[in-house]
Amino acid sequence: MKRALGFLSLLVIFAGLMLALTPKYGIKFGFGGDDWLKYRYTDNYYIQHGVEEVGGNNIVTDIVFDYRGYDTLGEATVLFTAIAGAIALLRPWRREKNEG
Amino acid sequence: MTWLPFLIIIPLFGAFSMPIVSLIGGKAKEAWATIVSFATLIVGIDVFREVWNGGTIVYTLGAKNPFGKATFPIRIVWEVDKFGAIMVLIVTFVSFLAIIYSIEYMKHDTGLEKFYTLILILELGMLGIAITGDIFNFYVFLEIMSIASYALVAFRNDTWEGIEAGIKYMFVGSLASSFILLGITLLYGQYGTLTMGYLAVKMSENPTIVAKIALALFLGGLLFKSGASPVHMWLADAHPAAPSSISAMLSGLVIKIGGIYAMARVVFSIFSPAVNLTTVGWIIILFACITLIVGNAMAVVQEDMKRLLAYSSVGQIGYILLGLGIGMVAYGTKIGEVALAGAIYHTVNHAIMKALLFLVAGAVIHELGTRNLNELSGLAKTMPKTSFAFLVGAAAIVGMPPLNGFASKWLIYESSALFNPIIGAIAIIGTAFCTAAYVRVLFTFFGRPSEKVMNAKDPGIAMLLPMFILVLAIVVMGFFPWQISDKFMVPAARALWDVMGYIASLMGGG
Repeated sequence: MKRALGFLSLLVIFAGLMLALTPKYGIKFGFGGDDWLKYRYTDNYYIQHGVEEVGGNNIVTDIVFDYRGYDTLGEATVLFTAIAGAIALLRPWRREKNEG
Repeated sequence: MTWLPFLIIIPLFGAFSMPIVSLIGGKAKEAWATIVSFATLIVGIDVFREVWNGGTIVYTLGAKNPFGKATFPIRIVWEVDKFGAIMVLIVTFVSFLAIIYSIEYMKHDTGLEKFYTLILILELGMLGIAITGDIFNFYVFLEIMSIASYALVAFRNDTWEGIEAGIKYMFVGSLASSFILLGITLLYGQYGTLTMGYLAVKMSENPTIVAKIALALFLGGLLFKSGASPVHMWLADAHPAAPSSISAMLSGLVIKIGGIYAMARVVFSIFSPAVNLTTVGWIIILFACITLIVGNAMAVVQEDMKRLLAYSSVGQIGYILLGLGIGMVAYGTKIGEVALAGAIYHTVNHAIMKALLFLVAGAVIHELGTRNLNELSGLAKTMPKTSFAFLVGAAAIVGMPPLNGFASKWLIYESSALFNPIIGAIAIIGTAFCTAAYVRVLFTFFGRPSEKVMNAKDPGIAMLLPMFILVLAIVVMGFFPWQISDKFMVPAARALWDVMGYIASLMGGG
């Protein structure tokens, strides 16, 4: 019963996502011409002004280290946290007093 | 010159330098964590003061304003309005107390340098969520907070329940986070920006079905993170299994920041111009009513003290969601304002009282080694100070008039009764269950001393001090309920509603 409901709701979610990705109702793919400026104005800005504003020739690194460098700092923190968590959980168990 | 960046810099520096500081040995790591979290508290107080005196702070990372040469934001912004400032204050306050408490509570555990690193990162993640004005950045900090809390729940890796709860929490929590990421992806694909305020602008120009699907994904993920009822099962396992100082932070802060605050922010500051708030509000009210009843009713039948407190957290989240939902349906009316102010007020109050109750539970476990309520009879004889703190916390959470829980619950009852008497009745039933649960615990505490508790004694100063600071906060806040409500909570609720003001302060460039 629960499982059937779960699959049913997964189907509904899937249908919703498919609807959202149908170009007629939702997100379009392969922008060109006017649509590029209408939907990807931020990307367009980075491409046009990235080199002069930041100085790197690689736009992706310009974005992830300058325009959105704070997110990269956050990602580094995620990695640090994951490592700290993994080594914290994989440490040896506490010994009983009489053993140690 | 604003102090806001130090809210991130200080805990980040503290966490990243912890492995080096702990090389000194001795008590260096505890001292360092305390210093760092105290400094964060000072900055938090100053940010709160700054927002309250000077209005919303907009801070751009890496430039003077978020625009560059464009007319739309291209950089990450922080935007701290009054609600955000309240959350910053409560996060820094409770985290500081939880860290002081850990010094004594965790002294029998190993791997403490990892523990203090993770607890500082947990604080960092919550502060990042509270101050951010960028939707992807919100996701990054949500992940930081979530990963730190997965690791901290399972921190006692030699207990089976810690590992079990950690695995459960991690599997379903990652799924919920990925829903949120999917929502962000859809929004970016449709609207081409990640700044919350500007997203609201673009969305109001062109409301699409994509926005609604994204909102549904957001709500699903965030209701999970807040422990609302059909998906509260992780909470009832995770909070009892975590070390008690962590339970206090999880129950007091994580479910509020990652769930309630984020939901309020996403719905009001991004979606409110574009979607029908009444529908969203009713969905939240529906979940709130289920959560209220299920959480509080399950609390009554528990035998495990921390599990009882965890279910009670679920129940209290129901009240907060109820206030939030009514605040959406009754947008722009007096009732909605009272409800939303009550929800914000209850968020703060519940953070304080549930932190206190979990710290008390931790003291009991620390002294007696059991959390089975049947074995704890007569604790008041041998642990009078701890029992007194529990008495205050329990009275506050039930909503006894001289304490702080009364005013916030009153605002929620009043608004829900005016809004719809049936919902008001459901709220009262929830409280009846909640009262039953806590009275049962109190009877146990004040009963005839059992053999097990005869050798117990109150914990040391490092554990009692945070508990009594929280008791003091509850009592003092209880003296000025309506002043706090009028001066802080109602303006915060208005600021949350004022999406035009939120957008204007972003586009004004700050």
